[in-house]
Amino acid sequence: MKKVCKDWVTNAFDDKLVNASYWQEFEENAKAASAEIIHVENLQSAQAAIADLIVTLGAKKIIAVGDETVPELNNLYKNIEQTGLSVYTDKFDIAEHAPTADLGISMAEFGIGETGSVCVDNYAYEARIVGMLPPSHIVVLNANHTVKNITTAFKVISRVFNRGYMGFITGPSRTADIERVLSLGVHGPSRFFILAVDEMTDRRMH
Amino acid sequence: MGTENRNLHKEINEKLQNTVMQTALSRFADQYPDARLKAYENVDSIEDLRDDLRDMKRKAVDNIEQVANTFEKSVQHLGGKVYRAKDGDDLKQHLLQICRENNVQRIVKSKSMATEEIHLNAYLQDNGLHVRETDLGEWMLSVAGQKPSHMVMPAIHLDRKECAGFFSKALHEEIPSDIPFMIQTARRVLREEFLQADMGITGANFGIAENGAIGLVTNEGNARIVTTLPRVHVVIIGYEKLIPKIEDAAKILRLLPRNGTCQRMTSYMTMVDGPTPVIYKKENKWVEEDRKLYIILLDNGRLKAAHDPKLKEVYQCVRCASCLNVCPIWTLVGGHVYGHIYSGGIGAILTGLLSSIDDFSKFSDLCIGCRKCESICPGKIPIPDLIDELRSRAVQEKGLKLPEKAVFQNVLANRKVFHTLLRIASVAQKPVQSGKFIRHLPLFFAGMTEGRSLPALASEPFRDRMPGLLKKNPAKPSLRAAFFSGCNLDFVFPDTSESVVKVLQDLGIEVIFPEGQNCCGKPVLGMGDRETGRKIAKKNIEVFEAANADVIISACPTCAETLHKTYVELFQDDPKWLIRAKKMAAKIREFTSFVADAYKKMGRLTPSNKQTKHLVTYHDSCHMKRGLGITKQPRDLIEASAGYEFVEMKNCDKCCGMAGAFGVKYSEISLPLLEEKITNIKETGADTVAVACPACMMQIQGGLDQQAPKIQVKHVADILAENLSI
Repeated sequence: MKKVCKDWVTNAFDDKLVNASYWQEFEENAKAASAEIIHVENLQSAQAAIADLIVTLGAKKIIAVGDETVPELNNLYKNIEQTGLSVYTDKFDIAEHAPTADLGISMAEFGIGETGSVCVDNYAYEARIVGMLPPSHIVVLNANHTVKNITTAFKVISRVFNRGYMGFITGPSRTADIERVLSLGVHGPSRFFILAVDEMTDRRMH
Repeated sequence: MGTENRNLHKEINEKLQNTVMQTALSRFADQYPDARLKAYENVDSIEDLRDDLRDMKRKAVDNIEQVANTFEKSVQHLGGKVYRAKDGDDLKQHLLQICRENNVQRIVKSKSMATEEIHLNAYLQDNGLHVRETDLGEWMLSVAGQKPSHMVMPAIHLDRKECAGFFSKALHEEIPSDIPFMIQTARRVLREEFLQADMGITGANFGIAENGAIGLVTNEGNARIVTTLPRVHVVIIGYEKLIPKIEDAAKILRLLPRNGTCQRMTSYMTMVDGPTPVIYKKENKWVEEDRKLYIILLDNGRLKAAHDPKLKEVYQCVRCASCLNVCPIWTLVGGHVYGHIYSGGIGAILTGLLSSIDDFSKFSDLCIGCRKCESICPGKIPIPDLIDELRSRAVQEKGLKLPEKAVFQNVLANRKVFHTLLRIASVAQKPVQSGKFIRHLPLFFAGMTEGRSLPALASEPFRDRMPGLLKKNPAKPSLRAAFFSGCNLDFVFPDTSESVVKVLQDLGIEVIFPEGQNCCGKPVLGMGDRETGRKIAKKNIEVFEAANADVIISACPTCAETLHKTYVELFQDDPKWLIRAKKMAAKIREFTSFVADAYKKMGRLTPSNKQTKHLVTYHDSCHMKRGLGITKQPRDLIEASAGYEFVEMKNCDKCCGMAGAFGVKYSEISLPLLEEKITNIKETGADTVAVACPACMMQIQGGLDQQAPKIQVKHVADILAENLSI
């Protein structure tokens, strides 16, 4: 899958700028922006959390994109599929089913403490529609990957951003165009979940 | 005043009577300031962020050609196409050609003010293309055939019933005025538009030269879909959006959402850097290819502005529209009366630069110069100063209207004539009727008080009392002060002038009153007549040079600002007079801050513990707070005054509606502002309202007269003088 950076951890992060110390501010601000946070220890519990969410949302059709740096994600999608749900991970399948899918799952690179935003690398077409067309969207985030603020976020981004498509997502799609009443889900998802995992593959360990 | 003005009055009145809009705007104006500050709670210093943004944008505009060239190369390097359009027509023709080349039938758009500016949608539709706005507000307005009334909240002037009406009209079915239902309906209808579109058109919040990326800041996410689903993407971006480095984007993004929508970040911030993959059905088969990317740089007056030493400051604008959110005029009349695409103060400037000086002149005087916008603008644009600059250029180009010209050049520029006329008027005036309040002095000669009573001119101007007061000067003065009264304190409030002199004399200061002093010139300068302004300035400079005083004291913040700041600016191109203006400027001191300093040194600035006789509140004059930056000293003086207990009022620094010529020309706007001020004063329970500005004093006195006659307005000088034994 096309990405602005194949491996953010190796090429863009450093321990000083990207670490776990901004988690609390990130969580507070993300919640304030109507993001729903599910914080789990490892990918095993992440899988359980997704399974629960699928039941709660009544999702039947799921579109999901993986990440080469987190091979466990693909296993996770396979496991969900074995429960009898439709999980599409091929880009053309995703394109075909995106308009009717109930849930999209993709990856986020890091969280931003100051704003509660997640930074997403969406160079691939399928990574974008997974997050925009279904009514619900889950991003999987390594909970150790947070930065202090927008300034530090751009310091990290500037190291690798020389082509492609990326940005921040901060809560669900919203509008206040009618009487300034906050309404969710006008074009993108009305529910936005951040599945934060404490123990995830981290290449710096290798 | 021609028919254009009369139409504007009619339009303003319609807006003032539109209760839907009035409710929406006043609620918003009430909530915005606190909500904005809350969004900034977790930053160390808003000022530092603003400075960073301003400095970055200044650097960009100073090197605009180089930045644009780098941006173009970066985009081309990635395979995108760049076209530089000199104006709207050029852009439209080029865009149509792109549509033809790519066999485009259906277009979806996400919000772009630049395309509104050049009326793009109508052009594309006339050429047989299907075009849809996808921002909910913009979509409703396009159905309604209306223009946005705000850059960020385009449909703020509508309520849910009106919106439901437009939904019903667009969809040919009855849509109830239930907001969630309308939102879901919009999602359903616009989703189809996205899926079928061949081309997406977006604006850009920034364009990064270093890597060629464009950035889009939205909440609905429509820009993300517009840049994802269609196989062709066209970006229309003004030169002012270009920034040199990737990291510079952070400088915009830390302020834009907070100021624009009171959010720490919008739901989506998207950056597109070069062509990106798109998957679509070609002859019934899914294919993946690179999306065609066209970036059109729109000039339309922008490059000329970039090379203008003063007006280039508009490049510091990030289109957050917060200048509208705090504008006392916009929050009363909404955006439509500005008549053009860009409304409010920044709108006047952009219209002058991107449309024409004629269009600018039609509504440029809807800025009252209160400087509230300047105090929160992320890019620190001195909006009122730029409007002043454009006004003076309009006057230079087109000249003044005849009655104003005659008055300014023949009366105001000649002190003797002016003052003789004032004396005649003071005898001839009818008793001031209740409810008809007096107006900014020099302007009533210009036929601007039509249908109003004359100002209540004092029977004896201050200058005639001065010989008596001179006798009370201390024998061994510590300092020699020249008093610049200004017209109001001389001819309308001589008692206050007397208070000023007494307070200074009590400090051991010798006070003199140079007889040859004239109006400071602000009314003339405010209308853009700098030539007459210079004449008046020269006279005053000569008179005060001859007075040979250590300091020059003014108890009117508008005069103080004019003498201190504007005079120096007026002579930028005249080195001889510039030196003299600077010398004089160095001596100018505003009364309350001067006295507060002196009292502090003497240990007299301690809060008084004596029995409270009066509950007093204080109104910050615009020129005092945002022109001179003085807020604390007048409050300290009041608190130190025996018998006075201080209480703050709500929106203490919001304009009272006076604002010189404005209050007269647009009394329909001035009056509601005054009413709001009086209500806020009444709510404190105070029996006295203190001011440090004679113009506000006039306006508030006029309002109190009618609505709360028991409340007194007093200049801080009057309060101080009450407690003196002399």
